Amino acid sequence: MQSFNWQTVERDSFFTRLDFRTKLTIMIVITLIAFTWESPIAGGMLTFLVALSSLLVGVKVNYLATILKFMLPFQLILLIIMGFFNIEQVKHLTGKTELTTLLMIGNSKMSVEGTLYGLNIIFKTLTMVFIVPLVIFTTDLNKMIVSLTKARVPYKIVFIFSSTLRLFPLLAAESKGIIDAQRLRGLAIERMGWLKKARVYATIAVPLILNAMSKSQKLDLVLQSKAFSGDPNRTFLHESVLKFTDYLIMFCFVVLLLVVIVLYFWLGVGKFPWLIY
Amino acid sequence: MPFKVIPEGDERKIEEVNKCAIDGAPIAYIVVLAAIVTALSFIPFSIILGSGGAMPLSQAVFPLMGWLLGPIAGATASGIGTLVASFLSPLTVGNPVLSLVGPTVGSFLAGTMVVGKKRRGWWLGLSIILLIPFFLYSHRAIGQNGIPTNIFIAGTLIEWSGFLLFILPTRILFTRWITSSNLQLVALGLFGGTWMISGLSHLCAATLSYSIIGWPLAIWNMLIPVIPFENLIRSTVGMVIGVGVIAGLRAIGLVKSREAIY
Amino acid sequence: MEIIAQLDKVSYLYPSSSDLVLKNISLEIRKGEFLGIIGPTGAGKTTLCLTLNGIVPQFYGGRFFGYATVAGLDTLSYPVSTFARYVGAVFEDPENQLLATSVENEIAFTLENLKVPREEIIARIPRVLAAVRLEGMEKKQPSELSGGQKQRLAIAAALAVQPALLILDEPTSQLDPVGSKEVFATIKELNRSLGITIVMVSHAAEEMAENADRIAILREGMIEKIGTPAEIYSQVEYLEQNALRPPQVAQTFALIARERISTGKIPVTLKEGLALLEPLKSYYRPSSLESTSYSSPTSPLISVKNLSHTYLSGTKALENVSLDIHSGEYLLIIGQNGAGKSTLVKHFLNLLSSTKGQVFIEGRPIENLSVSDLSRSIGYVAQNPDNQIFNITVEKEVSFALTNLGYPVKVVEERTSESLAAMGLLESRHLHPLSLSKGDRARVVIAAILAMEPKIIVFDEPTTGQDYQGAKAILEVTRQLHQMGKTIIVITHHLYLMPEYAQRVIIMGQGTILLDAPIRSAYHEIDLLSKTYLTPPQAVLISEDLAKLSGHRSDLLTPNEIASCFNYAIF
Repeated sequence: MQSFNWQTVERDSFFTRLDFRTKLTIMIVITLIAFTWESPIAGGMLTFLVALSSLLVGVKVNYLATILKFMLPFQLILLIIMGFFNIEQVKHLTGKTELTTLLMIGNSKMSVEGTLYGLNIIFKTLTMVFIVPLVIFTTDLNKMIVSLTKARVPYKIVFIFSSTLRLFPLLAAESKGIIDAQRLRGLAIERMGWLKKARVYATIAVPLILNAMSKSQKLDLVLQSKAFSGDPNRTFLHESVLKFTDYLIMFCFVVLLLVVIVLYFWLGVGKFPWLIY
Repeated sequence: MPFKVIPEGDERKIEEVNKCAIDGAPIAYIVVLAAIVTALSFIPFSIILGSGGAMPLSQAVFPLMGWLLGPIAGATASGIGTLVASFLSPLTVGNPVLSLVGPTVGSFLAGTMVVGKKRRGWWLGLSIILLIPFFLYSHRAIGQNGIPTNIFIAGTLIEWSGFLLFILPTRILFTRWITSSNLQLVALGLFGGTWMISGLSHLCAATLSYSIIGWPLAIWNMLIPVIPFENLIRSTVGMVIGVGVIAGLRAIGLVKSREAIY
Repeated sequence: MEIIAQLDKVSYLYPSSSDLVLKNISLEIRKGEFLGIIGPTGAGKTTLCLTLNGIVPQFYGGRFFGYATVAGLDTLSYPVSTFARYVGAVFEDPENQLLATSVENEIAFTLENLKVPREEIIARIPRVLAAVRLEGMEKKQPSELSGGQKQRLAIAAALAVQPALLILDEPTSQLDPVGSKEVFATIKELNRSLGITIVMVSHAAEEMAENADRIAILREGMIEKIGTPAEIYSQVEYLEQNALRPPQVAQTFALIARERISTGKIPVTLKEGLALLEPLKSYYRPSSLESTSYSSPTSPLISVKNLSHTYLSGTKALENVSLDIHSGEYLLIIGQNGAGKSTLVKHFLNLLSSTKGQVFIEGRPIENLSVSDLSRSIGYVAQNPDNQIFNITVEKEVSFALTNLGYPVKVVEERTSESLAAMGLLESRHLHPLSLSKGDRARVVIAAILAMEPKIIVFDEPTTGQDYQGAKAILEVTRQLHQMGKTIIVITHHLYLMPEYAQRVIIMGQGTILLDAPIRSAYHEIDLLSKTYLTPPQAVLISEDLAKLSGHRSDLLTPNEIASCFNYAIF
């Protein structure tokens, strides 16, 4: 299993000093823009900007490279499928009746338009994935929690979030112990086909869930003894303060989103044929 | 019942503490089950034939969260568990905003499968709301992208079958089976319930992902047998896990959440 | 003396109980005292503790009789959150009670809930960390701490509210000896230097005798006796009849007294006991006891040759370990956490691959065998049996492995029945394993392993988290299996439990074998044991002192052995 520690960048930058609420706003706006745009050019620029920003704030290039490597097979398949099979949709989007051939394999044609559409999807999904380390890895967990509470997220929800982060590694270790225990009872997992393996993995969940639920009763006691009531009216050790810069950036990004939407519908900026057809 | 030793002290009136809960489910339960969802997000148990990625074990337990905790607490546990997983490894889980849809919808809908008087009318309102993603999905596919209607219907088998099972008395039947003391009936209820709920949550998630990817006709044709097969695996695994968990919880005698239906 | 908490004819019935769990308890807790609570399992000790912070009955409901007041407040007239300000609570499981993602957050949590101002929280954190000797660890994650450190963090978090009373429910039962020592030292310091009132439930008789001001014995919901440790722990016969373990020094002197040798009072601490040995030396005539050194002409069952293991993180877990284990042995492996015990055992099971060296089982290299193949030869019982329960009936659980290994149905049925009978579980075969007691759940796992008819069975920390009765019950099962011809390997910290069972001891430290010797001589390697922070049982230390006083060397291990060397008739 991979390592699941909460990652943070080593570099202290202007971006890391922003409040989490600001970064959340940025993440939501960028995700919405990526969702809206269909143009591979616009999408590509956005992906490039997000990736560059990530690198500038200290997200390791290896991490982004791993994402790319992991997604590459799926992206290539998508590109090929769109190139060969996305006909009606791109005709509709480009207003063309005949598509431009990029490649012929036997009788099958791979179109430029279809391929560009595939590229658009790739950029969309990359942006939506790259934005996560940019926002999450540059935020101290403690500040994130306080920030969420100040953003009027119910404290109970925030508490569940932080406790999940604390408990999950224990469960991950326990699941490994359960798998080992099953192997020690004669289950040759390594020799199984995927269907049998699926059944075995399913049975890991049962003791994991039951043990966790048994412990939850004790956890309830602990919470009571620590005066926990879920009341948001509490003090906080850590602070999260919105500065003028935060307000300004949030405002700018909201305006950006509005501008993008207006330009999309009014001038077709970001639509599939933009700057191409 | 007479005590072996007679209490000498005065009997006192007890005002029970307001336990910290969401919709009647203790916070502690939600915390541990959210952590379970996170842990299971990283255990692949099957290849998703459709995307080539791995199907995480968490997908099989989203309905179970609803049945154990109720709709709101179940959706909270599934949502937060998935969110944490996406923050820890966006590689595995994907964008936090998008990956939340399936889990929260699934657990919420599962939790609304009630047999009593309380919330018995929720299914009607939810059924009407579920027509919205149906409309959006079909409009985009058939209207905009030119997918033939028969292909769309074939390709959304799990969605409309899930919807039919939800609006028909089968929903109540599955619930009764899940609450039965006969574990074989529990298994049937869990299988049917997971098929139904997974179909509906797939509807919502697919509407969103289709609006991003918009797969062409050839992919629709390919997915016609694949998606129901994946749902079959999900339902089978959900049944296996669910039976084990429910039997175990009954044996332990754990205090149930107020809205739990097992 | 000021009374900080008082129970006046308190009785309590849980909603699901058929009878009262607490019965007419009247108790005064004085400010600054260290009150120990002992009693067999099910006596009501935890319930009694939870009465002091209002959780009983406000959290559970049920029926409550009598009055409980803490810091002058009636526990039924104020919400539980009010008592969180006056009563700090520390529970048994270090993992389960730490909820935050860093040390400082953990300490701050209760204070934040109580709306203590931020500046005050910031001021208290370093103070409480210093009190528990965790200075400088504010930013660490709880997962980075050892077991003892985690419990000290839990104590710090409880201390931060500046409580009138600190209740600790078996805080050391899950810890290794180092962790246990640290926690007791911390509690003692808090009590003696800061005057914190302590109420503590613990089976650690030796430590309780040293530290407590008073001990209360709880049995079937009633306080049977209350007195100083000297008054309580000296009543050896009474304690043993009630399934409670007195300190070994008290046991030893009580047994000597039965030889009609006057020892004066029965000492309850080692220091007192050693001081009383001088006048008794004339009655002491040890006989030479045979050291059960084990040597077998047959080839070893498990053979380890120059085994080294380095984890990916770079930690050297094992360094050049070599040993042979023969058929029919009962082997004890001891050492601190991190000494390499579990790593070594995992190599026997092929759960880990060696960096260097080899392991052989019945002459075959282990790397040629899969984990599932090995399960026919070597069974493993983990510390928590619940992680090894996968089925919904006891019968299915026991037959699980046999089905996996492809045995014919008839063989599966026969072996399952035999295993169930051997573990006394035939009547429970159709029950869900989780509906059984903790001890019976452990038996289910053992039965499941036994069904595979392995030659070797490994028990990893079987006594941790168990009370004395529970621990003895598990060890009796190991004895039973040993008598059946199985080779038994036990990993445990509880040295005092093992002399009646183990023949050979391996002491591990820093990934190497420090000593491999028969139990009799191994337990008397006092210096080596203390280097690895292991304390030999009090009986061993008494034996050492007797040897120095009398000039007669005899490596005695148990109070019974020591007492048998005293003879009134000699004088």
